[in-house]
Amino acid sequence: MNPELLIVALLVLPAAGAGLCLLLPSPRAVFAAILACVAGMAALSAAAAAHVHTRGPVRTAWDWLFVDSLSTYNLLVMTLVFLMSSAAARQYFRGEDRLSPHLARRFGALWLGSLSGMNLVLISNSVGLMWVGMEAATLLTAFLVCIHRTQASLEATWKYLLICSVGIAFAFMGTLLTAASAHAPLLTPAESLLWTRLLEVAPRLDADTLKVGFVFLIVGYGTKAGLAPMHSWLPDAHSQAPAPVSAVFSGFMLSASLYCIMRFVPLVEAATGNSGWCLRFLVLFGVVSILVSAAFIVFQKDLKRLLAYSSVEHMGIIALGVGLGGLGTFAALFHTLNHSICKTLAFFCAGRLGQIYGTHDMSRLAGTVKRAPVCGSGLFWSFLALLGMAPFAIFMSELQILKAAADAGAWWPFSLFLLGAGIIFVGALRHAISMAWREPGEPGKPEEAVWEDVFLVVVPLVALAVLGLWMPELLKQMLWRAANTVAGSAR
Amino acid sequence: MNMLMETVVVLLILTNLMLLGTSRLFACIRLVAFQGVVLGCLPVLVHSGHVGARAVGLAVGTILLKGVVFPRLLFRALREANIRREVDPFVGYSVSIFAGILALAVSIWTTRHLTIPGPGVSTLIFPVSLFTILVGLFHIVSRRTAISQVLGYLVLENGIYTFAVVIVGEVPLMVELGVLLDIYVAVFVMGITIYHINREFDHIDADQLDSLKG
Repeated sequence: MNPELLIVALLVLPAAGAGLCLLLPSPRAVFAAILACVAGMAALSAAAAAHVHTRGPVRTAWDWLFVDSLSTYNLLVMTLVFLMSSAAARQYFRGEDRLSPHLARRFGALWLGSLSGMNLVLISNSVGLMWVGMEAATLLTAFLVCIHRTQASLEATWKYLLICSVGIAFAFMGTLLTAASAHAPLLTPAESLLWTRLLEVAPRLDADTLKVGFVFLIVGYGTKAGLAPMHSWLPDAHSQAPAPVSAVFSGFMLSASLYCIMRFVPLVEAATGNSGWCLRFLVLFGVVSILVSAAFIVFQKDLKRLLAYSSVEHMGIIALGVGLGGLGTFAALFHTLNHSICKTLAFFCAGRLGQIYGTHDMSRLAGTVKRAPVCGSGLFWSFLALLGMAPFAIFMSELQILKAAADAGAWWPFSLFLLGAGIIFVGALRHAISMAWREPGEPGKPEEAVWEDVFLVVVPLVALAVLGLWMPELLKQMLWRAANTVAGSAR
Repeated sequence: MNMLMETVVVLLILTNLMLLGTSRLFACIRLVAFQGVVLGCLPVLVHSGHVGARAVGLAVGTILLKGVVFPRLLFRALREANIRREVDPFVGYSVSIFAGILALAVSIWTTRHLTIPGPGVSTLIFPVSLFTILVGLFHIVSRRTAISQVLGYLVLENGIYTFAVVIVGEVPLMVELGVLLDIYVAVFVMGITIYHINREFDHIDADQLDSLKG
């Protein structure tokens, strides 16, 4: 297939799917349409990735759209998360009788709409268009948080909307300052938002303007990515949204905004003479996020809030990895994939448990392994994987980030990362063991295992274990190419 | 032309300060709408000499959106919620004005070393756009009602818009349209959320939205 056509198809398919969902008669049909559309996206992304891998980046639509190895890698992660969580959403809403056809149509349209927003972020070459995609994804997901309208979900929606809108506004200011740093005669105004053109002239960009811009960008997109101390919306939105929505939030939306920051890193690095100026910010925000989330995880009472703080931690780890550069960037990108798979699984199990027990309060979730064998043990294993237990893949990526820190002689981040991860390990494991095996106050009838649930729990866990033990050569090459794009050495 | 630009800058500063000292919400909405109309004229003013169709289109779009559509949406939300003024904000009105003046000084002081490359239209534009952004932020954190927070967000956006039109100039039209559309949808979504909050809680006091913690 013509590669340019492929990109356009990527752009059109989810938007068309969102429109289609509005016309369908039953929830069944809506979920079938969602799954078909996401599967189509996965096939297109795989084709795009294969093309980029063999023949290099593709540009189209007057250079407005562009995919390289960094974007195709993220496209693959995104479609994987959406595939998993769409299947999970089908299971989740089956256990809920409150989803009327009207609500299902709205859910489908918003779900695929936010997919097309995030997709636009990944395939656009214009940093302005990238911003538009991010903002669109924010606004569409806001309604997903309060699909069941309660006081708490409205409160979460309001905080999410306001905090993230301000954050995204800051990111726009940063985008404008980046464009301003490339003023004529360097680039014409029309070109000054195109990432590929900016990268070509990056060493000659006005360094001071770009530095101010990067501060705006990291605060702005950092808010959306949930980096501490701008993370305050995140636990509220994650705890109130339906579980599959939380899975997409944690699994990919946060990573998508880190992707936006990563796009600007090579520009700032080249303009400041590769002095590591902007990387230091990423290390700082990364370490602060890890430590802040550690403090909140230990004293957490709500299961979904705990998972939300764990996302803050993992975003911090990714930011730290990118900030260390080299092997660190490679490991950070690998960590994105591992965290996305694992967090989607964890939210799926947490959502099902919430439906069975009628609460997410961890003091009332007891004996989950007996009461709900599939989701209870699925949650326990996903906790282990999230905490960095060997042989799961998160262990490998965290180890590589530690190695990168040691190689760079960054001993402060190294020890603070270990400290934070250690606190989280002990704190979260205590919660996990207590939920899994504590004697429940009121014994309930064990849930029967459904094969779809078993499939959704076992496949991701096996995938994580395999990735931890053996990394395919193809994935390794892809990751290195993507990491080199962030480092600015891939031309 | 330059004279008109300076007028816009002065009007921008004045509306910001007035907003900080106003308690009646209807007046606040009118002030922000007025600020939007003033800013809508900017795309035409920056091009000395010939004025393209693109600049006129942008100006008309901005004025319609910021001067007509947003105020209407907000007035309606206000009537639904049946409130008139911001009672007992976190920071009093006279203190707010002093904070505003301080913010103006800070933005002039911090930007004096930074020269943005490009056509020097007015040296005051960058500090004033930063000042507007700060006022917007201050308005969001120092007021209790959800409407005031939306107004703060709009002022923040106005600050960024000023910078975009004057300093960056000709960013592609599609990006600008995307941005305007996004802001429109953002305010629209906020309006709907306010409506539902009002129905569920019987008030739109964002300060009392505090059940989710930890």
